Amino acid sequence: MPSTPPRGPGTPPGGALGRPLNGDPEPQTPGRRPHPGPPPGAPQGPPGAPPDATRYTSAFSGSLPPAGPARPPRPPRPRPVDPPTEIIKSVDDDYDDYEDEYDDYEDDDYEDDEPPPPPPDSAARKTVRTVGELLITLGLVILLFVVYEVYITDLISAGKQDDATSALDDKWGANTVQGGDPQRQAQYDLVEGEAFAKMYIPAFGPDYKFSVVEGTSDKHLEIGPGHYVNTALPGAPGNFAVAGHRVGKGAPFNDLDLLNACDAIIIETKTEWFVYRMLPKANEVAGWAQSDKAKDPKCGKVSPLGAPYDKTVGQEIVLPTQGEVIDPVPHFEGEVPQAQQVALLTLTTCHPRFSDKQRLIVHAVLTQGYPKAEGFVPEEFKEQ
Amino acid sequence: MYGWIWRHLPGPLPVRILEATVLAAGVVALLLFVVFPWIEPKLPFNNVTTPQ
Repeated sequence: MPSTPPRGPGTPPGGALGRPLNGDPEPQTPGRRPHPGPPPGAPQGPPGAPPDATRYTSAFSGSLPPAGPARPPRPPRPRPVDPPTEIIKSVDDDYDDYEDEYDDYEDDDYEDDEPPPPPPDSAARKTVRTVGELLITLGLVILLFVVYEVYITDLISAGKQDDATSALDDKWGANTVQGGDPQRQAQYDLVEGEAFAKMYIPAFGPDYKFSVVEGTSDKHLEIGPGHYVNTALPGAPGNFAVAGHRVGKGAPFNDLDLLNACDAIIIETKTEWFVYRMLPKANEVAGWAQSDKAKDPKCGKVSPLGAPYDKTVGQEIVLPTQGEVIDPVPHFEGEVPQAQQVALLTLTTCHPRFSDKQRLIVHAVLTQGYPKAEGFVPEEFKEQ
Repeated sequence: MYGWIWRHLPGPLPVRILEATVLAAGVVALLLFVVFPWIEPKLPFNNVTTPQ
């Protein structure tokens, strides 16, 4: 008991706290003994203080006499021990909500055992969270779309390209014609969506090989490069025009911008090989005759084609609306009899990559043709 | 949203994880094989042709 009195004054909040709890039921021994719950003491601290002092005195003087005899057996002592543990906690919680000062010292003592329950979700909170989740989801979906465009379509197209190639091989193998008869050139059976020729570009590596299908709709181009319907056929005068994807779907023309003048583009048909070579680019036309490439024997037939082909250069970038690039005589407004037309190959794809703002066009000219024969492979395949 | 889904998945934790995985895989498959192929032609990425 001697320790209690000093304590009360020393810790005002503590002493105060104890008081309201015990004060009512037990004015005598109340507050001091249990570690005083702080919060309740706070509000009453000031008013409580004076009574504290008086209380001690009164406790000693006033209550002693009457309680004196009863003191030894006194049971009340254990009593205060019980209530404080429970009551203090609940009181403490209440105050925590709005009384920050007490959090500072009391937090450590009381909050460790019981984390505060999460506040109930308000409608606004739920809305904000849902919107956030939706935005994150949208971002993930867009990322997934990129993966789809760049990788998944490649896988899907590879399967379709394989199917088209094996169908073409079956067709060619069915009745192979040896020593191709030029008269048979016109006898392609062109069915939209079916392959009718194969394209090789040695400059892109020995494994660059695509079966060219008839038609240029999205569905056809998923299979592989597509031949513009009604443009010339391989090897024939006019413009053999082929479109292909640059990103995804096998991306046959991904590197079309890296093709250089005189690079070979080999087309294999049922009966023949056709070797086209890219024309000089616009900035090479003027000095072509003096360039090293022009002196290379394999490029002998590659040179700027005079009128009416003066606007037909190896590579050009045009607007999507400029359909004249696949005309029999590109960029030429007028009629040129078919007999006087040069056999051109035109490749079209999108430009810049990942965009359809423009079209990248490559023009090539027929330089060589071989009939197909058992075991014969054009020497142009050795060019890398 | 995800919390709501998680709370409504039946079963104990391992079963819930399995269910959530299947659910996510289903959504991805739906996107890859139905939604994206449908929406792709409408987007300005892969037009490689010129008019004739």
